[in-house]
Amino acid sequence: MTGSAYVPGLEGIVAAQTEISMVDGANGRLVYRGYVIADLAEDMSFEEVAYLLWHGRLPTRAELDSLSLELGSNRALTPAATSTLNALPTDTDPMDVLRSVVSVQGVEHRLEKPTVALAMHATASFPTILASFRRRQLGLEPIKSRADLSHAANYLYMLNGKESSPELVRALDTYLVLLADHGMNASTFTARVIASTDSDLASCLVGAIGALKGPAHGGAPSAVMDQLEMIGTAGNAERWLRDARAKKIRFMGFGHRIYRTYDPRAKILKAMCLRLNPKFYELASKVEETALAILHEEHPERPQATNVEFYSAGVLQAIGLPKEYFPPTFAVARAAGWTAHVLEQSAHNRLIRPQSEYIGPEPRKPVPLGERG
Amino acid sequence: MTEFSPGLEGVVAAETAISEVDGANGRLIYRGGYLIEDLFPVTSFEEVAYLLWHGELPDKAKLDALRQQMSAARHLNSAAKGALMALDPATEPMDTLRTVVSAQGATKSAVKPNLEEAVSLTAIFPTIVGAAFRRRQGKEIVEPRDDLGHAANLLWMMDGEEPSPDRVAWVGSYLVLLADHGLNASTFAARVIASTGSDLTSAVVGAIGALKGAAHGGATFAARSMLDKVGSADNAEKWLTEAHARHERFSGFGHRVYRTYDPRAKILKEMAKTAAPELHRTASRTEEVALRILQEAHPERPNSVNVDFWASVVLTGAGIPKEMFTTLFAISRVSGWTAHVLEALSDLRIVRPASRWIGPEPGKKPLVVAKR
Repeated sequence: MTGSAYVPGLEGIVAAQTEISMVDGANGRLVYRGYVIADLAEDMSFEEVAYLLWHGRLPTRAELDSLSLELGSNRALTPAATSTLNALPTDTDPMDVLRSVVSVQGVEHRLEKPTVALAMHATASFPTILASFRRRQLGLEPIKSRADLSHAANYLYMLNGKESSPELVRALDTYLVLLADHGMNASTFTARVIASTDSDLASCLVGAIGALKGPAHGGAPSAVMDQLEMIGTAGNAERWLRDARAKKIRFMGFGHRIYRTYDPRAKILKAMCLRLNPKFYELASKVEETALAILHEEHPERPQATNVEFYSAGVLQAIGLPKEYFPPTFAVARAAGWTAHVLEQSAHNRLIRPQSEYIGPEPRKPVPLGERG
Repeated sequence: MTEFSPGLEGVVAAETAISEVDGANGRLIYRGGYLIEDLFPVTSFEEVAYLLWHGELPDKAKLDALRQQMSAARHLNSAAKGALMALDPATEPMDTLRTVVSAQGATKSAVKPNLEEAVSLTAIFPTIVGAAFRRRQGKEIVEPRDDLGHAANLLWMMDGEEPSPDRVAWVGSYLVLLADHGLNASTFAARVIASTGSDLTSAVVGAIGALKGAAHGGATFAARSMLDKVGSADNAEKWLTEAHARHERFSGFGHRVYRTYDPRAKILKEMAKTAAPELHRTASRTEEVALRILQEAHPERPNSVNVDFWASVVLTGAGIPKEMFTTLFAISRVSGWTAHVLEALSDLRIVRPASRWIGPEPGKKPLVVAKR
């Protein structure tokens, strides 16, 4: 074995060079292509940020119009994707629906190299898949997408069958901007590993969706909601959290491998919750305060902080999404980052093929079947 | 922060007892410590899958139980059938596999990866591949048979007729040889996905996506395509010399880890003599000439033929068209993928590496769109 020492989880191991985003954990900064997230979150649309991630700069008015048109005219599912969506039982986890239908939507006859056009088309289809399945679950007819609406507005329109208020559309846009990329997280890394074999874009996305589904990654926002539901009221926070701690139950929505200070996205989402979801805010801010105090008592040496999942839950609830749709809505945002990383990986590719350390027995001879047992 | 090693070359990303690629000595060791050349003459695919999952070879009773469990799990559920029938028959077979596996494993709530699921997933692959192959040819889908082994049932579902013992043996040996191979890209993808606490289907679907790539599972197809272009043993010298002058890469040569002959390639080369005598002659001559050219061009590199090269010849002899090669690879490797995921569960830590920022200095202020 020529390799370096094994580091569990590849923590601290540089697995890629990237110009797409940087998580500056020490200073609590998230940077997209040179812009600090706080400077983008309030005013930029998802489309502008997707353009930024794909091209490295913000679009001009003409470029933005052209991107909006391209997204708007590629929202429809293929007949095969629609049939697959309709073949899945209505109680299927929406993440599994997304994984399966993105796979169909991206099928090809021969292997194609990832391109910006394919990135746009795949990104455009995510809300359609989720909204169509949500409607199906509710026994409602799917709503045809509208090319004149923005990515965020159209998602809400297809879910609800009517246009949402500008305030809610802006809230979703901000959420999508905040979650669009985040360095070498597990799902993005998965997408890059798959891209490194010269596979196609849909394969990368399907793998990334699978990774995001895990509770240690994108599966967490619904877990936050579950925990808040169990706590019930602000007055019950202290007692519930102390009991939970005694039972070694993990607090959901706290801690991050990289941030050593407050996650800048959590700060923005928290302020949004106060405005959009005061009931949630009242409970959540009390739970946050108490949980951080308890965690700090236990591990004063560790940097304890609220992560992005915690207040995401309140924003997504305010937008009207049921909690099973939190993780796939995360995917709607991250599709922009995943595809940008796949394009970057393809442009400077080297097969990602690490080493492993063998911890099994020394070589020996097999016993034939008749002599075993 | 460490140095950046492109492709994570030389970086240890997992501890594993499932398999070991000892590149320096040209050895592949499967779980339990068995060398591939010792294992392949005495074991079926099912025995090897059992070995990868459990860490020991099964006795007769355990093997029978596994065979029975796999036979019973060869049927698609209605969601998977719906997805399969929705796809254009001309769809790339790996895309069909990726999609139908995803649909087959779609559930209401995520289940922690477990052995039973590993067995079911492994059992369903030939059904999907067989159906994809039949549909490509515009033929009726053939139902699985529960009295046949994994390899024989695959050929049955592809062709709709009883396969000859030779073909079953060639395909069976191929499946044994390709079942696992250390931390290759698809296995690594599966382990990264599983590290988030996600489900087995998600890990396997991601691995299928990685295997599809031309630099991974797609290499067997590329090797076969090159042999098609070479055409005959007599033409090898001319074609390869010209291709080299055009800076064309020789498919089926080189490997990141092996510094000497890949033991699987050696076994497959021997099998190819009987499986595909004519193509064996072309391939042998191609190997000889290509290695000479590579050696002249890069005397410093360990130039060697890889498993894809000789696998493409054996699979051809077994009657598998090259468009289906990568799916055959997947049918084998799913046993390894699932074994790795089950192993990784015992010490789940999210795989979340670092990246090096090479973009612009942070802090530039965005202009509103009207001012850009």
